[in-house]
Amino acid sequence: MRRSPAFETFRYAAIALALALTLLPILWMVSMAFKPIPEWSATGADLTWIPRAPTLDNFRFVFGESTSDLIVALERTAWRPILSSLLSAVFGTLIAMVCGTAAAYGLSRFGSGKNLPLALIQLRLFPPMAVMIPVMIMWAFLGLIDTWWGLALIYGIVTLPFAFWLMKTFFDEMPREIEEAALVEGCSRFRVFMKITLPVMRAPLASSALLVFILNWSDYLIALLLTTKNWVTIPVYMASLSSSMTGQLYGAKAALGLLAAIPPVILGIAIQKHLVRGLTFGALKQ
Amino acid sequence: MSATETIAATAAAAPRTLPPVDRESRRLGFRLTLPTQLLVLFIAVFPLLMQLYISLTDWSPLDGVGWWKAWQSWNNFANYTDLLEDRRWWGALWRTFIIMLVCVPAEFLLALGLATLFMDDFPGKQIFYSILLMPMMVVPAVAGYMFFMLFQSGGPLNGILSALSGMDIKIAWLSDPTLALVAVMVADIWQWTPLMFLILLAGLVGVPEDQLKAATLLGASWRQRFFTIMLPRIKTIMVIALAIRVIEIFKIFDTLYIMTGGGPGVATETISVYIYKVTTQDLIWGYVAAIALVILIALSVVAVFAMKRMEAARNGDAVARKGARA
Repeated sequence: MRRSPAFETFRYAAIALALALTLLPILWMVSMAFKPIPEWSATGADLTWIPRAPTLDNFRFVFGESTSDLIVALERTAWRPILSSLLSAVFGTLIAMVCGTAAAYGLSRFGSGKNLPLALIQLRLFPPMAVMIPVMIMWAFLGLIDTWWGLALIYGIVTLPFAFWLMKTFFDEMPREIEEAALVEGCSRFRVFMKITLPVMRAPLASSALLVFILNWSDYLIALLLTTKNWVTIPVYMASLSSSMTGQLYGAKAALGLLAAIPPVILGIAIQKHLVRGLTFGALKQ
Repeated sequence: MSATETIAATAAAAPRTLPPVDRESRRLGFRLTLPTQLLVLFIAVFPLLMQLYISLTDWSPLDGVGWWKAWQSWNNFANYTDLLEDRRWWGALWRTFIIMLVCVPAEFLLALGLATLFMDDFPGKQIFYSILLMPMMVVPAVAGYMFFMLFQSGGPLNGILSALSGMDIKIAWLSDPTLALVAVMVADIWQWTPLMFLILLAGLVGVPEDQLKAATLLGASWRQRFFTIMLPRIKTIMVIALAIRVIEIFKIFDTLYIMTGGGPGVATETISVYIYKVTTQDLIWGYVAAIALVILIALSVVAVFAMKRMEAARNGDAVARKGARA
């Protein structure tokens, strides 16, 4: 379709405005992450978008290295929270993907578990806050409070609906001919699933896993309730960072926020093609 | 064609007789869905019964008795009657709805406008698209911190406003009850307009181009094409996009809690924040359980409705695809 030059001008102007508004908060955090202490709370004329004296001190500080300006010692460094975030998100993704994929295949091919689509949507619908009382009691009983494996288990359950629905739509679309050929060859149905279906579905499996990982990595509330000290995740750790001497540790927090924000943004761009399907429970394909 | 029919057809064509697939596949199907079924039971059925039981008592973890002995403080549905008179709860519910009523339409209109700009190809489209999607991938807690910094009284937002107006503006965004609510809404709109944009654009791209071309040839103006062809075509998709945001805003917590902690006072306290505070500070878990159950029941009704809409969307989709093939 040809458009008029006036429309093109309007379009670029509108998009430029949207881009500016999108990037503004992000750029400020990036800038803050590289600012030395004196610039953290500079106001008025001293307020700059580009650090005057850019430094990596904020990153060094959260990882426990001593820096020239920040003489406060951290009670604990960012290493452990990063490890906790990684472990809980990765194993949570594993639980969700293994259970979700198997169940999606069972429903898509054999019609088993017809109750699951609705049950899992309801699971997703509920605010986590509204089911946390029993979860906290059960987790305490099972000794899962403040452990990464306890977090992984609840993450696996919380993101199971996404894994299930995404894989279900992929299985529904997959041509049956390949599987049927293998069946005629005499493979058992389980062997067909393991040796034919799953390898063929490598790409969809990877995008689903990445989406589930992003969702797990992004959690704050659940970790806030289920961890206390040893295995807090990055967002919980970040929120708790402050010192009695310097008040808000703006730069250090921004550095951590930047580290936490980078993986999902990169992964999200990588799986852009499947985002719509994943986030609308397969109601919409791109 | 169902799986069994397919197999029957294959079996008829194959020279060898296949093993009794029907029973085999039913058993396999059962085994494959079993872990998920167990997890659902583990997280839904048992906890809900526990929640129901505790909600009828005054039990608190500080009582020093196990939750199964909660009957000792049985209170004859007092939690539920208290809830009716709990002004903080009604306030939180009201505020959640206000945020919903402002943010969902704002996100929808902004996203629809942007999506119409992205319908055809133009130089730079792909990179702009990727950048515009970034906010929804930022960890919500981190987004909350970004906006916490932006809205500081000596922060960059006031800096920009000062530069634009030439005056020294020092608005204390997060400590004014009304402005704090505005700030929280701005953060939500920033983060979730991209999701709506993504969904609506996917819908608009699916509008058949020949229809639009035909309408143009017949002399339809852009406005006519938009309102008579495009909008009706993406009706279901709009409903899905709106439903997703309504549900998610109902749960709003991360960004908001990092920005204001529900304050100043209770000015930005939403349902989730309220429940969180009663859970961790007041520790009256019997009461929390009652609130949670009320929310769960209300939402279950919504779930059934949403599910029907999505089923209709999928079926409509299938019909459209069949039509295209024919």
